[in-house]
Amino acid sequence: MLRVDNLQVRYGAIAALRGVSLRVDEGELVALIGLNGAGKTTTLSAIAGILKPVSGSIMFRDQSLIGRSPEAILRMGIALVPEGRDIFPSLTTEENLRLGAFSRHNRSEYRSDLEEIFELFPILEERFHQIGGTLSGGEQQQLAIARSLMAHPKMLMLDEPSLGLAPTLVDQIFTLIPTLRLRGATILLVEQNVDRTLKIADRVYLLNTGRVELEGSPEQLKSQTAIKDVYLGKG
Amino acid sequence: MITFEFLISAISLASLYALLALGLVIIYGILKMVNFAYGELIMIGGYVLYLVGSNTNLPWLIVAVAAVLGAMAVSYLTELVAFRRVREKSLTALLITSFAVSTLLQNGALLIISPRAKAVALPKVFSTSVTLFGITTPMRSILTIAVSIALLVGLTLLFRYTILGIALRAAADNFRMTRMLGVPANLVISSAFVLSGAIAGVVSLFWIGRTASVTPTIGLGPLLIAFVATVIGGMRSLVGAVVGGFVYGMIFIFIGVLLPQTLLNYREAFMFLIVILILLLRPEGLVRVKYAQERVG
Amino acid sequence: MKLRRLAEWLSPYSTIIILAVPMLILTAITDLFAGSLLVRIVTVMFVSMIIVLGMQVFMGNSGILAWAHVGFMGIGAYSASLCSMTPQMKAIAVPKAYPFLLNLHLPFWPSILVGTAVAALAAAVIIYPLMRLSDAAAAITSFALLIIINSVLVHWDRVTNGPRTLFGVEEYTTLGTSVLCAILVLILAYFFKESSLGLRLRASREDYYAASAVGINITQVRYLSFVLSAAIAGFGGGLWAHYITSFTPAAFYMIETFNVLAMLVVGGPFGISGAVLGTVLVTIAREGMRAVENEINLNRLLPFDVVGLTEVFLATALIVILILKPQGIFGSRELRWKPKGVADEANEPAVDSALGG
Repeated sequence: MLRVDNLQVRYGAIAALRGVSLRVDEGELVALIGLNGAGKTTTLSAIAGILKPVSGSIMFRDQSLIGRSPEAILRMGIALVPEGRDIFPSLTTEENLRLGAFSRHNRSEYRSDLEEIFELFPILEERFHQIGGTLSGGEQQQLAIARSLMAHPKMLMLDEPSLGLAPTLVDQIFTLIPTLRLRGATILLVEQNVDRTLKIADRVYLLNTGRVELEGSPEQLKSQTAIKDVYLGKG
Repeated sequence: MITFEFLISAISLASLYALLALGLVIIYGILKMVNFAYGELIMIGGYVLYLVGSNTNLPWLIVAVAAVLGAMAVSYLTELVAFRRVREKSLTALLITSFAVSTLLQNGALLIISPRAKAVALPKVFSTSVTLFGITTPMRSILTIAVSIALLVGLTLLFRYTILGIALRAAADNFRMTRMLGVPANLVISSAFVLSGAIAGVVSLFWIGRTASVTPTIGLGPLLIAFVATVIGGMRSLVGAVVGGFVYGMIFIFIGVLLPQTLLNYREAFMFLIVILILLLRPEGLVRVKYAQERVG
Repeated sequence: MKLRRLAEWLSPYSTIIILAVPMLILTAITDLFAGSLLVRIVTVMFVSMIIVLGMQVFMGNSGILAWAHVGFMGIGAYSASLCSMTPQMKAIAVPKAYPFLLNLHLPFWPSILVGTAVAALAAAVIIYPLMRLSDAAAAITSFALLIIINSVLVHWDRVTNGPRTLFGVEEYTTLGTSVLCAILVLILAYFFKESSLGLRLRASREDYYAASAVGINITQVRYLSFVLSAAIAGFGGGLWAHYITSFTPAAFYMIETFNVLAMLVVGGPFGISGAVLGTVLVTIAREGMRAVENEINLNRLLPFDVVGLTEVFLATALIVILILKPQGIFGSRELRWKPKGVADEANEPAVDSALGG
């Protein structure tokens, strides 16, 4: 479904991605792990159209994403839930969700979409009329994911959804993500929480200083000592 | 000294100040850009009133609608032609561009029409007075207040209940995220400019109504008012802008009554000093918002 | 061989030479062959260059728009004029003047110095708190400052004769004076840019947080640079006043701000070459358009008077430049001449960063 080939991204003179290649097939839960600064967020940003790569290709269902605007890429079916949640603080939960559904043209689906969202995120129904900026961190994270789901994306990209959340909320997130996958979503997940990510992912890519260092199933990666090396500083 | 008539006229002027601030903040909230060409939209409204009014026999209401549409169109065009392409470059470039557009529009009016003031025909109703509950006030003041309230109500409905309004508010919070949900950037920005133009157009009807004439430089005054009012109210919120404008208007008028003549000349300078102080001490403005979002970098 | 040694020794200063020599040649040609109109245009051009360079010192290196810049030009103009005018002249031109002002009478250069000092002092006193602000807040406060300065100039008629014309200033500034002062300011601006202070300021422009993290006191650096730029503006204002010989506060307001901005932006605000070139280009454009306007008006080529055509043209040109090449014609580069083997650091394509980028 998604195919990234030899992606190179620069921030001014600094090379952030030095040739990243990965793929995500339909229905998969693929994870990108790696240290801070390895290029995980940069990869997602490039796919979402926020950053323009200097070279390489990004193909989604046989169409190139390079050079397209973020709104065009959303309409092609890729939604990104960025790091730090980025909900609209001055809008209510309802308004946040309504905006998520902006790209949907079928008004009658809105109601049923909301019902589904409330099933997955019951707290959002409670907080429906509350202003986004007053929600707790965990609630905001759920709102951010719910909001992107309202757009019915074909592929959902999550950037560090468990970042900064309390342990119980982290549990919730890591229960939610496989649930979404069971419902048929295709997910590209970026995470720092390696243990739990390896438990739920179908395939994993390990990024290090802008390159893919390892790839494979969680079992394959666990058996490789390279991960430990990277995380403990020998890589 | 402070009669009811004075109070109503003060409120009517303060309402215009509130609208002026709102029109400026709509654009600032999304683009973080201070639109120096905003005052010229008032000028455009005035010149449409003049041109259409003196060359046709249409009823004033139609001419007024034309003036508002004219301001909206010019606002939209300035974005389409100039600002859109500079948008990606840098904020500084955008500011200079808006200043250049302002100069262009002013001198365009100078060139195409005249450097001299042009008289604008006003509806008869503007010069009548009405007596309510024993108080006599100019009809103009009542109309200003009524139209301002109507416009504010209309805009509130737009921002609260329509998807466009929600998108505009979201864009002011986080423009990038709005795009990532599929909202086209150009739609949001053009809408903001059109709305800003509409507000300026309506204000121009009453602003010109005070002097019954229009000159190329008539836009500077309203622009400065919008600046001060926006800063007082806080540049981040629409409600703040409206409140800030209204408060500024009332303070300005009451200071005009209270200050001795010699200091009166410095009234404007004084208000700007207040602006500077506010930006230094309380940059978020005087109107509190219900949440806080501070991010570095 | 000796010539080569000389060339290598001069090469760091090549920018100044490349700019100054044509300026001197132009002066010579104008002085020898041109009529009084052209002398006037060139003299005013060199004085404008001083103002533009003053703006470059602050805005080009800090990246912050200094809207109030021409306000300080006005402060310098009025201060210098009030010092140099004879008491008799002042009694007529500024009828309500304070007694101490009336009796003040200094020769030309001390007057110019007073003008420079008053402008610098005004900046030093007012501007420090504003230097903490960035982006929109900085733009609005500096614009507000321009309004305030104008308001003071217009209303303090015991000093300025209010909105009415201040006339009777002696014409001391000559073509030669203006070009030499322009070259002087050119050298000052250049060395400022390459100095430690200039470097620190440019670092803050590139990356505010990184520069703070390295220990640069950004507020202080901006403050000192602004005071310098205001001093230059005051200097230019004094020179200008003593050429034009009569002016009003309106001369230091929106129109002049637009002119200076146009000159700086067209050439490229990040270097002195840009400031110089921009001034020349805009002057040529402006005088050219003015001539066109006069042709049309005098010969009644059109059924109405064309007024404002010059500004419409210039504003359009400025917008086009901002769309196509917002860095101006020169961008960050300076005109330079490098003998073989000498590195050209300033013109390298890498990010112009003092932090080694």
